[in-house]
Amino acid sequence: MKTEYRNWILVAGVGLGAAGLAVIAALISLPKTLTVGLMVVVCVSIAATLALLFKQGSRLQAIAHSISVGSQIKLTSHYPAGSMLKEIGSATEQFLDETNHKVKSLQNENRDVTLQLQLLNRRKDSIEAVLNSIRDAVIVTDDRDRVILANTSAERIFGFEFNRKEPQSVEDAVSSDELAWMISKSRTSRATHVRHELTIEDAEQRVTYETVLSCVEDDGGEVLQVVTVLRDITREKEIAQMKNDFVSHVSHELKTPLASINAYAEMLVDGEAEDTETVQQFCDVIQSQAQRLSRLIEDILNISRIESGLVKVSKKTHSLALVIRDAVEMITGYAQEKDVAIQSPAPILYDQVNIDRDMISQVVINLLSNAVKYTSAGGQITVDSILNEMEGKVTVTVTDTGVGIPSEDLDHVFDKFYRVKANNKYAKGTGLGLNLVKQIVETVHGGSVFVTSTPDQGSTFGFVLPLLKETVALPL
Amino acid sequence: MNKRKALVVDDEFHIVQVVSIKLKNNGFDVTTAENGSLAYDLACQDCPDIIVTDYQMPMMSGVEMIEKLRQNPETAHIPVIMLTARGFTIEDDQREQLRIAACLSKPFSPREVLQTIEDVLKQTASV
Repeated sequence: MKTEYRNWILVAGVGLGAAGLAVIAALISLPKTLTVGLMVVVCVSIAATLALLFKQGSRLQAIAHSISVGSQIKLTSHYPAGSMLKEIGSATEQFLDETNHKVKSLQNENRDVTLQLQLLNRRKDSIEAVLNSIRDAVIVTDDRDRVILANTSAERIFGFEFNRKEPQSVEDAVSSDELAWMISKSRTSRATHVRHELTIEDAEQRVTYETVLSCVEDDGGEVLQVVTVLRDITREKEIAQMKNDFVSHVSHELKTPLASINAYAEMLVDGEAEDTETVQQFCDVIQSQAQRLSRLIEDILNISRIESGLVKVSKKTHSLALVIRDAVEMITGYAQEKDVAIQSPAPILYDQVNIDRDMISQVVINLLSNAVKYTSAGGQITVDSILNEMEGKVTVTVTDTGVGIPSEDLDHVFDKFYRVKANNKYAKGTGLGLNLVKQIVETVHGGSVFVTSTPDQGSTFGFVLPLLKETVALPL
Repeated sequence: MNKRKALVVDDEFHIVQVVSIKLKNNGFDVTTAENGSLAYDLACQDCPDIIVTDYQMPMMSGVEMIEKLRQNPETAHIPVIMLTARGFTIEDDQREQLRIAACLSKPFSPREVLQTIEDVLKQTASV
């Protein structure tokens, strides 16, 4: 309050006091001098009291202001010793000191709480970010099977939106009765680290999850939450199945020549070969079956080495035309035995490729050998290479007039151990040759393989390799 | 005394040959087939005393051939021994249902094949 107003109020107080006393003195008819004296004394007292009250009022106002702005409260007035005001002042100062202390303490606590809250928020954000970065789905449910935490993977897999404020029941959220049952069952049985396999199937795909459920209990052993983690193991299961199939196929393929070797050797030991010609025949069978076994093992190892990246690759610049020419020469004898003609057009000049010569040679020989195997006497095989300089590619094709391949088998002929059933009667095979072709062309050389076929008319197997960027004329 | 007749079925020529020689050398009259379909026709035609067949073959597998044999009253009684490279792929109940007399895993011993044939024929004769 401004000093001007205070003075006016002081004057008004003194005036009112004096007037009051004057009236009283007049009413009780006191002597004039005494009445006047009383009026003076009372007026002075009232004025002094009012002055003090104003002073204290101003001080309280200052204190209130200090509290509101959070600064320390100070009391610096001086009172005459032994006076009541002195005692009031001292008590007030003590009160204010304590209040100051408490305010300061509360301010410190408030600061600590604010910091802790910020820290907790940061931790919560960090934990949520970690949870959301996990590929596995994480769902936490409470003691009423309501979803109280779910990461983005869980939301994506089960197609729901996690609502922190209004938790959904797990049955509504996950749309899998089996999972909802697992969670509920885990909670009631207080199971920890229980593993289940859960398959979720829709029109597009079938996904298998390894589901691990763990209960979180309080000190009294009551289940507070169930933490469910789902990991997609579809691919792992496929690989495991492929491994089993592979072992099964390998076992079958290895046992067949081994059975012949074992049986013919036993026949020789038992003297079942009646003459030298039969003995020679048995020995030839043992030798050819041993070679077959060796080729089979070599093919399996080659595929395995390529797949695992352990194969030694020695790439150099070669002319594909020369590789084809040499391969045709190697297979000509076999083709002549079967009365199958091989046509190989004049080599193209600018077909320099960066290849492992032995491997690509193996590819061409495998394709030619297959073509001869499945082509009847009088048939024809044509080897061709097409250069596409614009795209920087060279395409090699081996076309036969053989038995052809049914359309339903075409997508699988390059698969490991795949055999076209309809063609089993024409020739024996391991089902590894074309897979080796695919591995060498695609995995080792970054090319591609293809096949087209018409049953009873013939097939065309081919592969595409990238050309060297700057080709040079080939010295033929 | 008539020779006992055996039908040997396998798509592996060398297996057919070695089993045939072993059986011929031990007094059997042997016919051969390279798949289940041909074998069924031969079985209907010759009615052999015993059939030794592979499990996996083109055209018609060993199991399919046995199913057909069991459906035909003329061939339903013929005992069959199965050779397989896959070990225990034939479940016991299927083996029982098809009345497969014995299963031998590849690689097998021709002596073992002969011994099994003799045992099965003895058992069949005593029934």
